[in-house]
Amino acid sequence: MNIQTKRRSDRKHTPKVQMAGLYTRAVRDAFSKLDPRIAVRNPVMFLVWVGTVVTALVTLDPNLFGPVNEQPNQQRLLNGLITVILFFTVWFANFAEAVAEGRGKAQADSLRATRSDTMARKVLPDGSTQSVPSTALRRGEQVQVRVGEIIPADGEVVSGIASVDESAITGESAPVLKQPGTDIASSVTGGTRVISDELLIRITADPGQGFIDRMIALVEGAERRKTPNEIALTVLLTVLTQVFLIVVATLPPLSQYVNSPTTIAILISLLVALIPTTIGGLLSAIGIAGMDRVAQFNVIATSGRAVEACGDVNTLVLDKTGTITLGNRLADELLPVHGHSLDDLATVALASSIFDETPEGRSIAQLAEKLGAKIDFDPDTAEGIEFSARTRMSGINLPDGIEIRKGAVEAIKGFVRSRGGIATPELDAAYERVSKLGGTPLAVCQGNEVFGVIYLKDIVKPGIKERFDQLRRMGVHTIMLTGDNRITASVIAQEAGVDDFIAEATPEDKIDVIRQEQAQGKLVAMTGDGTNDAPALAQANVGLAMNSGTQAAKEAANMVDLDSDPTKLIDLVTIGKQLLITRGALTTFSLANDIAKYFAIIPTIFSAAGIGSLNIMGLKSPQSAILSALIYNALIIPALIPLALQGVAFRPLTADQLLRRNILIYGLGGVIAPFLAIKLIDLIIPFA
Amino acid sequence: MKNIQLREPSLLRRQEMRCDRQKNPRFLFLFLCLNLMVAPAVHAANGSDFSRLQSYALGILILVTVALSIYLFVVMFQPERF
Amino acid sequence: MVQGWIQIAGTLLIVLLMTPLLGGYIARVFLGEPTRFDRLFCPLERILYQLSGIRAHATMSGWHYIQAVLISNLVMAVLVFITLMLQGVLPLNPTGLGAPTWDTALHTAISFVTNTNQQHYSGETTFSYFSQVVALGFLFFTSAATGIAVAIAFIRGLTGRPLGNFYVDLTLAITRILLPISLVGAVILVAAGTPETLAAPVVVPTLENPNVQQAIALGPVAHFEIIKDLGENGGGFFGINSAHPFENPNGLTNLIQILAMIAIPTSLIYTYGIFANNRKQAWLVYGMVFGIYLVFIAIAAIAEYQGNPAINTLLGSPQPNLEGKEVRFGWAQSVLYAVTTTGTMCGAVNSMHDSFMPLSGAVQLANLFLQIVWGGQGTGTAYLFAYLILAVFVTGLMVGRTPEFLGRKIEKREVVLTSLLILLVHPIFILIPGAITLAFPEQLAGISNPGFHGLSQVIYEYASAAANNGSGFEGLADSQPAPTGLWWNLSTSVSLLAGRYIPIIALVLLADGMSRKPVVPMTTGTLRTDTGLFTGVTAGVILIMGALTFFPVLALGAIAEYFQIAGGI
Repeated sequence: MNIQTKRRSDRKHTPKVQMAGLYTRAVRDAFSKLDPRIAVRNPVMFLVWVGTVVTALVTLDPNLFGPVNEQPNQQRLLNGLITVILFFTVWFANFAEAVAEGRGKAQADSLRATRSDTMARKVLPDGSTQSVPSTALRRGEQVQVRVGEIIPADGEVVSGIASVDESAITGESAPVLKQPGTDIASSVTGGTRVISDELLIRITADPGQGFIDRMIALVEGAERRKTPNEIALTVLLTVLTQVFLIVVATLPPLSQYVNSPTTIAILISLLVALIPTTIGGLLSAIGIAGMDRVAQFNVIATSGRAVEACGDVNTLVLDKTGTITLGNRLADELLPVHGHSLDDLATVALASSIFDETPEGRSIAQLAEKLGAKIDFDPDTAEGIEFSARTRMSGINLPDGIEIRKGAVEAIKGFVRSRGGIATPELDAAYERVSKLGGTPLAVCQGNEVFGVIYLKDIVKPGIKERFDQLRRMGVHTIMLTGDNRITASVIAQEAGVDDFIAEATPEDKIDVIRQEQAQGKLVAMTGDGTNDAPALAQANVGLAMNSGTQAAKEAANMVDLDSDPTKLIDLVTIGKQLLITRGALTTFSLANDIAKYFAIIPTIFSAAGIGSLNIMGLKSPQSAILSALIYNALIIPALIPLALQGVAFRPLTADQLLRRNILIYGLGGVIAPFLAIKLIDLIIPFA
Repeated sequence: MKNIQLREPSLLRRQEMRCDRQKNPRFLFLFLCLNLMVAPAVHAANGSDFSRLQSYALGILILVTVALSIYLFVVMFQPERF
Repeated sequence: MVQGWIQIAGTLLIVLLMTPLLGGYIARVFLGEPTRFDRLFCPLERILYQLSGIRAHATMSGWHYIQAVLISNLVMAVLVFITLMLQGVLPLNPTGLGAPTWDTALHTAISFVTNTNQQHYSGETTFSYFSQVVALGFLFFTSAATGIAVAIAFIRGLTGRPLGNFYVDLTLAITRILLPISLVGAVILVAAGTPETLAAPVVVPTLENPNVQQAIALGPVAHFEIIKDLGENGGGFFGINSAHPFENPNGLTNLIQILAMIAIPTSLIYTYGIFANNRKQAWLVYGMVFGIYLVFIAIAAIAEYQGNPAINTLLGSPQPNLEGKEVRFGWAQSVLYAVTTTGTMCGAVNSMHDSFMPLSGAVQLANLFLQIVWGGQGTGTAYLFAYLILAVFVTGLMVGRTPEFLGRKIEKREVVLTSLLILLVHPIFILIPGAITLAFPEQLAGISNPGFHGLSQVIYEYASAAANNGSGFEGLADSQPAPTGLWWNLSTSVSLLAGRYIPIIALVLLADGMSRKPVVPMTTGTLRTDTGLFTGVTAGVILIMGALTFFPVLALGAIAEYFQIAGGI
């Protein structure tokens, strides 16, 4: 974990957000959101909006809705002040939303800058090239990109090998090697720059539908839909607003009847104080900020729904390699069997790894060379056998027909048996020894003869065990998937502290695990990058694709990690929970505030009914009480904007502990805070 | 292809706007007609200390409140629309 | 003083002991386990089901269930309305009563079919024995059983079972629960001195002046009485209800009546515990309601015991407030009866609620507003769990998951239904008609006691209707032939219907939806709803969402009146 966070803070997130102009723009946007056609989308604040209009009318003519006993000028002053405060209540809510949106917009702007229209060299069917603007490119067309040029659109490498600087989207400064054929390295993103050699690329996205375009739309909030939980909360807030509208609207005949009449402006003040303006004003800002926090984490979520689902995840399905252990396993030791010498084994191991470009393969070659092994054939004449998930082995066919293979012990056993050889208990013993150390054993064979076992050492990421402990406390179950055998898997699983593991897993197992968990009603999150991960990513409730992954994986997932760091899935769970907690905390706070507001307003405005003794805060006068409650009501919105945008501090505690903590702070705090604040405002304002 | 796609929504929107433009005055008219019924009731409830203008203004306010209440019901049952 | 508190404590102790017994029994009945009465009723039921074409094993979907409730209730209401209008030509009418006005009959039919029993008439001078026993007595059973059936369907849905069959549950509620208990209760009441006769009123000369004749109303009271209380009906045989010496002759009958009122609403919480296989949660929720109940009793008891300061100064010494109370019950039993009857939506009264001290009046109103301090027959328990769902929704987010109750996610649909159910129905159907009535107090209300108290009277009448309680603060000219009778009959009818059927529809739909939801397994990250902390949170939600809505009304009514009396008039 330390490594992760350190790396993240080191790195400057490239799509830099221009914060300077953010607030001036938000101030402007907050005004334009006063347009009734926009205001009507937020039911709670719309009521305040209408209330402001009505109080403005009674400021002009206090007697508009009925004769008022008091001095018209005094009345006008009070109504005017109420109007101003109500106006700012609406404006503050708009401002909160504008600030939240502004961050995304600023981010989108910097992304858009990378998408400047470039000229592309389109390859025509006859092989000649033609210069066209990048926006004119269509799916399926081919372009040539040379060193120093910007790749015009998303595509797949058809031919050529080149390093590409993808820092514009990932922030990672190290260039990435792109070449055709390989699943992962062949996809390129529009807006990135080729920094060596040249590529022939087949375009896979029409203009405006590329990856960056979608990212811009997402961070900008153009595609923002209310999430299911947000909708449910909106319903509750609307019902409460409706309830208080009825309560306040039915008050005049009642107060008239007991000879304690009141004015329209005061009734509107009471209504605004009672309806949940705090959460109503901040609700959309919380949702936008949640998406934004994910974006700042360099993860692009396709919808707020996905972010919300992160908080609900019950099960994390994690690949061992790269997530739980450091990506590279290193060959640590060679264990010869069947009477072969260490040198023989080293020679065969080196031969088997000559074409293996994976870090594991290279480390085997290194170890073998250290032991003095050399190859006695010309690699150009030999045929390399690539690793596949199905055969689970790789190797080489020598020019003289000798087949050398290395791979999972079971796979090699099968290979040897098919060639008429036998597997002995000695091999199993070596295999078990490696497994019990938590290493990955790779068997090596030449023809039908097993030479020995390579011990690949796995290193569990530091700090990962603590993360899993935290997850367990939060009630999240972790399942590790690995191609390793059972014994190795169980050793690593124990070392890393995962709850469950699946050994010798094939890509199909991934989707099976997800389906099994989902059948029990659980929500599952997983990461993936390969094309064969795509079905599982689509099946999972939260699928996090690596940006380095294939287009298919990215399309299937509902989140893409630009840094290609699978450990982030754990952080996303935290962000999702934080989003929900923030929403719940502010709702609770907003509702709890009503007690104090009631006790401030009701006793003072109906003091003619003799209930002045209920004025337990000892507020100076009815006017002062109403203004204090309204000022509190308005100011609490900007006061809580930072909390809404940053989210409530999250601690990995059990549900009961979290509830106790948050109820104390936001529930009890929500009851007490306004009493103190309203009293304080009452003391400050000079309205007697 | 692209041009057509672009034009279609704007056409629709224009049509919607035309509907809106026709709907608004009709609403307003209905509103005022309703007020012809509400205002006398208000006047009756409050007695003679209310002027005619005040009764009508209060009547409109009552109708606005009712309209708001209906609006809130719509939001309650179809929150996705907002 | 001590004697009064002992009476209260003793009664409550019996309630506590009774709960697991009756609650367990109700669970057995509706879980389909064999009971003692099977041999007696099973053959009868089979014939009944066959005759009416009910497929007893076919469970109903939500809308089917609602349809069954609404249609059966409509048919019963129409039948009763016709019976009441025709009582002049029907038998068992020794006093020769004619038909009541149409609005009285309509209001009465609606009021009784909704298990409210709000009475804008005096039984002995308006309805014949036939009307009382056959028409109203019939609704006593069916309306109570409807409530139980809905509660059971709700509990079933919440705990992931199919809702069941309304007609079967209705039958079971009557034959296994209401009838057996009523039978025993009625016998005890008869033994304790309640009349049970079809004879005409006895006419005797008065003691003061032998020349003046007095008619003493009689009737088949005992059996009427027990189901009146057990079924949370509350419609008295006589106009003054259980304050009448024939309805409620002595301390023993008073005790039986209190126990009968509270028995089923308390037990259903325990029944839920068995259905959900979580008795801990049942007892916690029970404890919370019991706590509120105790606080309410204490407030009312202290207010009544201290008496009216204005009168105390006249008397020269503090005396309990006995105005409107029967001396044979005293302040303690009157307070306990009043808090229980308003809390359980029974609506029977053994004292004049109008004459209670303002704070007791506030407690009674609070009971009607909240509807969960045991609550109505069946619906009260359902409301309680609806509040729990609401509390889960509001606070459950604070544990960082979308809220779940019993492993089922609370989403838009649930929020719409619960909030409609427990937040909106009351303000609409209490405050709006209340405000209209008070806007035209002369023309519509006919208030005997203008001022703060009058406001409480009007609000109480609508609250009693919307909460399906039926008791009255009284003091309103709400009976025919008063000129305001028509308005009262019709406007409260609207509140009665809305207060009964909107919640039932919402409850059944809620349960139906919940039963179909996939169950999310419990983890340490799941909000546990069976903890003391969460129960406390629920109490807070009930206070803020349920009670604060009515704070202005209480402030302008009962609380203002309290300060008025405390400050000397």
